[in-house]
Amino acid sequence: MRKTIKKLTKIRELSSLSFLVLLFVIVGLVNSDFFKIKNLLLTFDGSVMYILLAVGISFVIVTSDVDVSIGSTLGLTAAFIATCVRDDVSLWIAIPATLLIGAVIGFINGIGVAKLKIPSIIMTLGTMGITRGLIYIYTDGKWVENLPDFFKEYSQANIFGFINLFLLVTLILVVLIFLYLSKAKKGRYFAAVGDNIGGATLIGIPVVKTQILAFVLSGVFAALAGIIFVSRVGFVSPTAGSGYEMTAIAACVLGGISLSGGVGSVIGATIGAIIMSSISRILVFLKFSSDLDKTITGILLITIVVADSLLHRRAKEKARKARLSARSTSEEVKQ
Amino acid sequence: MSRVEKNNEIMISIRNVYKSFGQNAVLKGISLDVAKGDVVALIGGNGAGKSTLMKIIMGIYQPDDGEIFIKGEKVNLNKPSAALAQGIYLVPQEPMLFPNMTVEENILIGFSEKRSILHNRLVELIVQLGWNLKLDRKADSLSIAEQQLVEILRGLLRESRILILDEPTSALTFNEIESLFKLVTDLSSKGISIFYITHRLTEVFDIATHVAIMRDGLFTLKGLVSEFTKEMLIKGLLPPNAKSTSSTAGNVCKQIDHSKTRPVLEVKKYSGYGFSNINLNVYPGEIVGMAGVVGAGRTEFATTIFGMDEVKSGQVILNGEDITSLKTTEVLDKGLNYVPEDRFLNGIFKISDITSNTSSAIVRTSSNFLLNRKKEKEVTDEYIKDFRIKATGQDQILGSLSGGNQQKVVIARALSTAPKLVILDEPTRGIDAGARGDVYTIINQLKESGVAILLISSDLEEIVELSDRAVTMFQGKLTNSFDRAHINLDNLMAASFGVYEEEKAICEKQ
Repeated sequence: MRKTIKKLTKIRELSSLSFLVLLFVIVGLVNSDFFKIKNLLLTFDGSVMYILLAVGISFVIVTSDVDVSIGSTLGLTAAFIATCVRDDVSLWIAIPATLLIGAVIGFINGIGVAKLKIPSIIMTLGTMGITRGLIYIYTDGKWVENLPDFFKEYSQANIFGFINLFLLVTLILVVLIFLYLSKAKKGRYFAAVGDNIGGATLIGIPVVKTQILAFVLSGVFAALAGIIFVSRVGFVSPTAGSGYEMTAIAACVLGGISLSGGVGSVIGATIGAIIMSSISRILVFLKFSSDLDKTITGILLITIVVADSLLHRRAKEKARKARLSARSTSEEVKQ
Repeated sequence: MSRVEKNNEIMISIRNVYKSFGQNAVLKGISLDVAKGDVVALIGGNGAGKSTLMKIIMGIYQPDDGEIFIKGEKVNLNKPSAALAQGIYLVPQEPMLFPNMTVEENILIGFSEKRSILHNRLVELIVQLGWNLKLDRKADSLSIAEQQLVEILRGLLRESRILILDEPTSALTFNEIESLFKLVTDLSSKGISIFYITHRLTEVFDIATHVAIMRDGLFTLKGLVSEFTKEMLIKGLLPPNAKSTSSTAGNVCKQIDHSKTRPVLEVKKYSGYGFSNINLNVYPGEIVGMAGVVGAGRTEFATTIFGMDEVKSGQVILNGEDITSLKTTEVLDKGLNYVPEDRFLNGIFKISDITSNTSSAIVRTSSNFLLNRKKEKEVTDEYIKDFRIKATGQDQILGSLSGGNQQKVVIARALSTAPKLVILDEPTRGIDAGARGDVYTIINQLKESGVAILLISSDLEEIVELSDRAVTMFQGKLTNSFDRAHINLDNLMAASFGVYEEEKAICEKQ
């Protein structure tokens, strides 16, 4: 039992990956058009934004918090960069400024959660509302449109003739982050804080800093996703990005990141994001209505979270019983 | 002891440390010198201040006043990483590992050196200690003893010079304890200073070179272990002017004859998680005190009877009816009620009014579909009067009452179900002297009315004051039972720490 659990947990990403492959194979068998290279590439291209969101929020989830403000952050940063591009502001200024906005929102979340000890769901729900409100103020409630073509063309740019520029850059980024988190000295701090916050404090890990950094990264990645949103979609409505946080959280969970913290990787988040973003496309290929998209996402999310928390609870209860048993039996042997 | 041939170099020196939390003074001027290779056993009851002192040394708390020197140099331990840098490492009572990481990751995290170098040092260290510990195992698959080894490895790899072991044996089996003792001896001979917090007096003589006893934020006794006996240690744990015998009940030798009455509660060979093989009878109109140190298994015993935890084996009989493994609501209906230890966590509905709180336990039976507010009010009125609950009225929100009055409401609620047996778990913890007196009166009134009471308390004076009979629990076992004549602080303290020796029976001789 112990061994199988150990093995299962070791291949969390692998099981998400096999789920993805299985899903694609089934869809391909039903409708062979799905397997056309062009379609597959389109499916992957479409997932870039979600990958970025999921990777960003995975830092927060691994530290056992949650950040529901990323959808609004995406919306605000998208609106901001869109106006910059429309008004001919240099990208060298506009892009860093956009990322800074994301970082500031994340920093505020981080201070609220790590310093002021506000539950992360409440804190980020608050910033989610504020940020969404800021979009309306900033855009006067109007769409930002008529963007110059050059910016929209970035999302069409291909490297080596077939792979999308954004997709390539994102995947490289994911691999680098993965290596940093698993190999670097401080990379494991996020998981440590999420795994056992008391233990992390005791061995001198800067818990508060790590938590704040997780939220800042979440905000920055949401801003990156915002930039890509503008390039792909070509206009920004005041509701841009709303609901994306659910998709990102579901992607993380689907990718094997535990909501109780401490477990999971950005590779998992990436696989989860690809699954999430292809669901609506898959539904079309299976000739279902894509209206089912949200329902299916919800069902997937709940199923996995329930299974995860049951396992977690059982392990905890087992540990407690083992501890209590040891206390009472030690005397028996002695006498 | 042979290994006391050390060079007497002082490793850590604590000078006049004070610490208060709000009104509550926890440390009242603590001074202690620990030399290289010393093993200092730190003993004290609950709330004596041991943990607070260790947390100050570990940089988790800051002292209000006082200084700490390490190797003669004054240090400012303002955060755990500062303490770690000074070579101090705390092995907490419940190991604080990262369950989802491997053993190696658990040990190496937080270091700044290169992984490969650390890995080699770690392997070397394990070989040196002669341990068999696979580094790629995940921490959640380790036993408690193994987790402790990992914690100690963490400390050693950091080249800690001062190790704090907080009740390291509390969750270990006998063999594991033996190897831990070997390890401690070994570390001590290598010049590492060790603070050894324990509730087990016997261990002091097995393992420590020095002993320090804390009571009420002060050291009542400290020095070389060889200078003390068990009896002297127990004296140090007791309040200074404690009457050694109690005599609140007129004739102390009058035995209550239970042979003709049937017990309300019969517990037979009862085992669960945290306690085992408990045999206990409680008779109507009797208060049975249950003493023991924290973690002895008393609360687990109570919650298991109350249907909140899993029973392993044995039987519980209430008024002739088998109530083993019943659900909490069923146990309640049968006439047993439990007033929990931590009223803040489990006991009260903080933002409801007194009426709702008092009547919450009878709502199921007093009302049908709609609430019977009138009945609730009547019941509550009665209790407010009887218990002298100080409140502006029935509608006062419970969270705004003082601790003592909250506790009275919780007890009132338990009584409103008209139970035959009440288990009170630490009924007066954290409440003021006045309210304490009221609670005692209530408990005595209850007893007069024929209710059987099982009183779990770490406050030994409380047990002496109230109990007709007392039992002590030690490491999950009922170790001793005392009749009225033998209930006194000395006996209870000794038995709580597992070192009670049958004394001259006072009454038989008469």
